Amino acid sequence: MELKLIDVWHSYNGVNYVLRGVNIAFSKPGVYVVIGPNGSGKTTLLKIIALMIKPTKGTVLVDGVDYWSLRDEGLKNNLKKNVVYVHDKPLVFRGSVEYNISLGIKSRNPWEWSKVVEYYMSRYDILNIRSESVFKISTGQAKIVTILRALLLGPKILLLDEPFTFLDKDRTRLLLEDIVELSKEKVIIIATHYMYRELDEVKNQVIELPLLTQ
Amino acid sequence: MAESIFDLTLRSIYISSTAAAISFLLALIIALKLLDSSDKTRSIVIGVFEALVGVPTTVVGLLIYMLLSPRGPLGALRLLYTPIAIIIGETLVALPIAFTSMFRHLQSARYNVRELILALGLTRSDERSLLLRETAPILLSSYFISFARAIGELGVALIAGGGIEGYTSVLTTAIALQTSIGNYEYAIQLGCVLISITMLIIIPLRLLGERVYGA
Ligand SMILES: Nc1ncnc2c1ncn2[C@@H]1O[C@H](COP(=O)(O)OP(=O)(O)O)[C@@H](O)[C@H]1O
Ligand SMILES: [Mg+2]
Repeated sequence: MELKLIDVWHSYNGVNYVLRGVNIAFSKPGVYVVIGPNGSGKTTLLKIIALMIKPTKGTVLVDGVDYWSLRDEGLKNNLKKNVVYVHDKPLVFRGSVEYNISLGIKSRNPWEWSKVVEYYMSRYDILNIRSESVFKISTGQAKIVTILRALLLGPKILLLDEPFTFLDKDRTRLLLEDIVELSKEKVIIIATHYMYRELDEVKNQVIELPLLTQ
Repeated sequence: MAESIFDLTLRSIYISSTAAAISFLLALIIALKLLDSSDKTRSIVIGVFEALVGVPTTVVGLLIYMLLSPRGPLGALRLLYTPIAIIIGETLVALPIAFTSMFRHLQSARYNVRELILALGLTRSDERSLLLRETAPILLSSYFISFARAIGELGVALIAGGGIEGYTSVLTTAIALQTSIGNYEYAIQLGCVLISITMLIIIPLRLLGERVYGA
């Protein structure tokens, strides 16, 4: 799957542009790191790549198709399914840890989801809180929940917004391992305000914000 | 002798829970539709419902009376002074409170639900079911509020129902009648039943709901 941004501009208020003429292509599998200070537009860029927000100007090509000019909802959804984003602040819903982790996969794959959910819960050592209300766990635990929810969907493009904030050392290492493993076949895009040493070692490409207007 | 408290209570519950159920469903349908409407339409509809929350039940009763009276536009249905007339009226009485008690919550839950749907690439039907699941406790209390409003009102039951003993008489009309004939003791008993019934139904169901739905 190839995803390309061509001369993408974005403004939330119609006056100030957060992104100015961004051109990037993601065609090869690998780890791409988007780096920049707070407010530089990392989240905005990731949400545009994730097909969540329509840029004010410019084109988003998915396998050569201009995504935002598509009319057919079914077709759009088929493309969208391959691109999954994880929010920087954990987005959780009333219910247990297990419910939240299986939210997406259950709807995609109603018959066979419990094994993979089980696998990830045990890998990240959260089996002991599986039935806990998601409002009673720590922010770091909630963050893991939301990352696992996305990981186990196995998307072709996975976008992680500040994935390591709130995580402890062991889980950071586990996640990095998974990222490296996944990046052999998939595109992993990570937004961060700080280049972690471990991330520096595994990255394939760095995209710095603010980008120069081209 | 007046009819038994038990029969009166049962009739009250039956009529008001039916009215509450209909107004709840109507409110939910309107609210879900309104989530996708333009800001202007939304403000207007919210404003109308907020203004109608305290509408005098006698005015609604009068409206139903005029619609259903033999020479009214719906007179041919012969519904005046029947339980159905009360149900229709109480549905209208409870609708604004059913709507306003759920809408804001649906709206804010919808923001998060939509973020998730977009982030994971789920479908519109996932969006609907996740939204209802997420707001289930709110929807439950919205139904109870409608029920409390319906069972406690007098205007519609009296004007459109007529308080016919053994047929359309409910707790509130019986209280009015017993008071007017000076049977204060009985009226007070009915009043106590009316207040405790709402609590006896709502509190256990709430607790059960909290169990089922979590925090
Ligand atoms: N939903 C929004 N509405 C209005 N302004 C926003 C919104 N999201 C982000 N912004 C603004 O856009 C700029 C870039 O934000 P963001 O993309 O979140 O940056 P980063 O993730 O690099 O910290 C900030 O100035 C922020 O205030
Ligand atoms: Mg950000």
